[in-house]
Amino acid sequence: MRLYADSARCSGCRACLVACSLNLFQENNPKKAALTILPHFPAPGVYEVKVCTQCGECAAVCPTNAIKQNARGAYYVEFAECTLCEACVPACPENVMFVRAGLADVAWKCDLCGDCIAVCGTNVLRLGEIAAA
Amino acid sequence: MNGYGGNILRVNLSTGKITKTPTPVELARDYIGGRGFGAYFLFNEVPAGADPLGPENKLIVSSGPLAGLMIPGAGKCDFTCKSPLTGGYASASVGGLLTAEIKYAGLDSIILEGASAKPVYLVIDDDHIQLRDASALWGKGSITVEKILKDELGEEFQIACIGPAGENGVPYAHINHDYGRQAGRGGVGTVMGAKKLKAFAIRGTRAIPVADLDAYRQAGMALYKACKDSEGLGPWQNLGTTMVVSWCDEIGALPTRNFAAGSFAEGKTLYGPVIREQIVITDKGCFGCPSPCGKYSRMKRYGTRVEGPEYETIGMVGSNLGIADAQDVAQINFLCDEWGVDTISAGSTIAWAMECYEKGILTPADTDGLELKFGNVPAVFTLIEKIAKREGNLGALLAEGTKRAAQKIGKGSEQFAIQVKGMEQSAYATHNATAMLLAYMTADVGAHHNRAWAITYDLQVGRELVGADKVARVIWLQHVRPMFDTLGACRLQWVELNIDLEMYIPALEAITGVKRSWQDLELVSERIWNLTRLYWAREHKDFGRAWDMPSPRFYTEPPKTGTTAGQITKLEDVERMLDMYYAQRGWDANGLPKPETLERLGLANLVA
Amino acid sequence: MTAQIKLLGILKSYVGNQSQIEVNAGNTVREAMRALNIPSELVALVLVNNTPQTKEYCLQAGDVVMLMAVVGGG
Ligand code: SF4
Ligand code: SF4
Repeated sequence: MRLYADSARCSGCRACLVACSLNLFQENNPKKAALTILPHFPAPGVYEVKVCTQCGECAAVCPTNAIKQNARGAYYVEFAECTLCEACVPACPENVMFVRAGLADVAWKCDLCGDCIAVCGTNVLRLGEIAAA
Repeated sequence: MNGYGGNILRVNLSTGKITKTPTPVELARDYIGGRGFGAYFLFNEVPAGADPLGPENKLIVSSGPLAGLMIPGAGKCDFTCKSPLTGGYASASVGGLLTAEIKYAGLDSIILEGASAKPVYLVIDDDHIQLRDASALWGKGSITVEKILKDELGEEFQIACIGPAGENGVPYAHINHDYGRQAGRGGVGTVMGAKKLKAFAIRGTRAIPVADLDAYRQAGMALYKACKDSEGLGPWQNLGTTMVVSWCDEIGALPTRNFAAGSFAEGKTLYGPVIREQIVITDKGCFGCPSPCGKYSRMKRYGTRVEGPEYETIGMVGSNLGIADAQDVAQINFLCDEWGVDTISAGSTIAWAMECYEKGILTPADTDGLELKFGNVPAVFTLIEKIAKREGNLGALLAEGTKRAAQKIGKGSEQFAIQVKGMEQSAYATHNATAMLLAYMTADVGAHHNRAWAITYDLQVGRELVGADKVARVIWLQHVRPMFDTLGACRLQWVELNIDLEMYIPALEAITGVKRSWQDLELVSERIWNLTRLYWAREHKDFGRAWDMPSPRFYTEPPKTGTTAGQITKLEDVERMLDMYYAQRGWDANGLPKPETLERLGLANLVA
Repeated sequence: MTAQIKLLGILKSYVGNQSQIEVNAGNTVREAMRALNIPSELVALVLVNNTPQTKEYCLQAGDVVMLMAVVGGG
């Protein structure tokens, strides 16, 4: 399973980011979310939604093997084993892996909880099987 | 404090001094946040008789307890100051992402005081707060400046900025945010410009504390679910406020040629579905909004883009100027945004000038040669720039707003200056819609629709009917609707998606830890309402009943065309509504709160 | 040969709080509203099969019509 995003429908509201931070950290803080909303304004005037595609590149480069797969098949960071080396950050092709020391002493990523989907009013997001490449 | 950023930030532009103090608990208790905080600080901190453009005036930017949280539309920010347009209370609301960022930076209100000697902009990056030189930004348009600052500081910063109109003291200059959302009304941007503050940028990375995390997540999710299940969601997302253009046209509420009528024969090309099809490219929502009403449009003919046009703008710079083309209207919208003026006041002022021109009150000698006829699109383009720069006789005249411009010109033009208290009436024609007329007459900033909106109610109970129930309805709306601007959330999910007001109650309790019913909230609203009334009375020695009178057009000149042709409100009904309104509010015959009313609301200590 | 009319919000109160009503095809939306005693001027938006239409639209068999009032304005 992975999260899919249809950027053309996104209205830039960031409800998904708050829902995500509440799930990952039990906090109201969209800066700590595993999705990224990139507005492109004033031109061309569209939003771009970046989500984890569960490609596993981050897990492959993690020197301590701190990035594991949960029961839903989602890669997640085992916070206790993460050394904040940031190797995963440039490895992520979607730029959604974060280590923001100062905000939280852990790396974080999407664990497929689905809360972002629940709050998105314009149906940008959905969970689906990973399409065979 | 749960639900709050926790601090009040003060930036003195005269001295550069920056101070932060904890948000007082009693303030949150009695005024909740948003426009409540604004009204409190304005009344208590800006000295009586202060020059709106002088250093004594303050620009108070406030968030509220729901803002920035997982609550639908939790993105409302309030700007309060003494209005340079009306000399009274100004409070303008803007959506977008600003209010959430204020909370993440650990703030509830930002109070901008004093005035800088040279252009500056303010950068708030959590606890790093800095005033920087803005001489390179001065003179630039507000959309342009927002882009420059985003490029310089990063996408995570949220920007509020003014255009040239705000720099040049045009009393209806706006504050722009998120490429086309504006705190538009009452000249909040003018006050920012008078302080020589071109912009402020803010980023916060803190979490907002809540009292009961699980209950809040549950209540928040329930609200989102209700919004997403609402049958009104699809149409509202599709059209936003443009949904009402065709309907206002049909019922005679669409301002046409300076409110001479309420139906626009050429107006079909301004209807919502046409706008959607011709120019809209992206839906654009405020923070946390599941039902984005913002429509981002592209005008191919002009090579430009704009957020909008939304209903008010379509009414005020479309039908009210006799203009019927979607791209033209959107381009006027864009020019107003970039030059920094409120589309409603600008549209109304230009419409007044057009009527003056067509009646021969203004001649080509007065208009610097412009042929100011209704429908003249290039003339409107030119005028917006002239107004923003106060250029030439006409630019300087119209940069005063309708009330003062009409006082200067005279010759009966006061009769069709469509304003109350000096603020231009927004886009609902009220020849025969008595509740809506009363809403405009009594709104606490001047003739603005957002405090109470009662057109459908008028139709339901009878347009010309005047009675205690109607008056009570307006008062109730004046308490419930602005409460959303106090809480920092959008009211449109309630009104357009039929979300039950009661659903907000458990959310608010879980967030703040304070249990309040709607009755409690309405009482706070009533306190704020009366406080702003006291403010008007303090700032204008002659304040009273006469200030609540609508434009004479609505009780003397029935429209000649359209649905409301031949219909008019009687002057005696206007007076009767005011009598009932004052009585129900506990005000005297001159419209001033009685001592026992102030006593009941805990405001008695404010009047000497 | 009927069409479905769905009513939103305050409009339901004019038809005994029903939210969906079956009407005969062949009439215009305006005529159908008159027959149901729904004040036509309260209806801000007519959607037929999710497409905005005027009140003069002539109902076809199988149409699903949604009628919306506006209670809040901008
Ligand atoms: S909730 Fe949906 S519309 Fe809002 S930012 Fe996220 S993806 Fe975009
Ligand atoms: S309905 Fe419109 S104004 Fe309200 S939160 Fe959504 S986008 Fe903003």
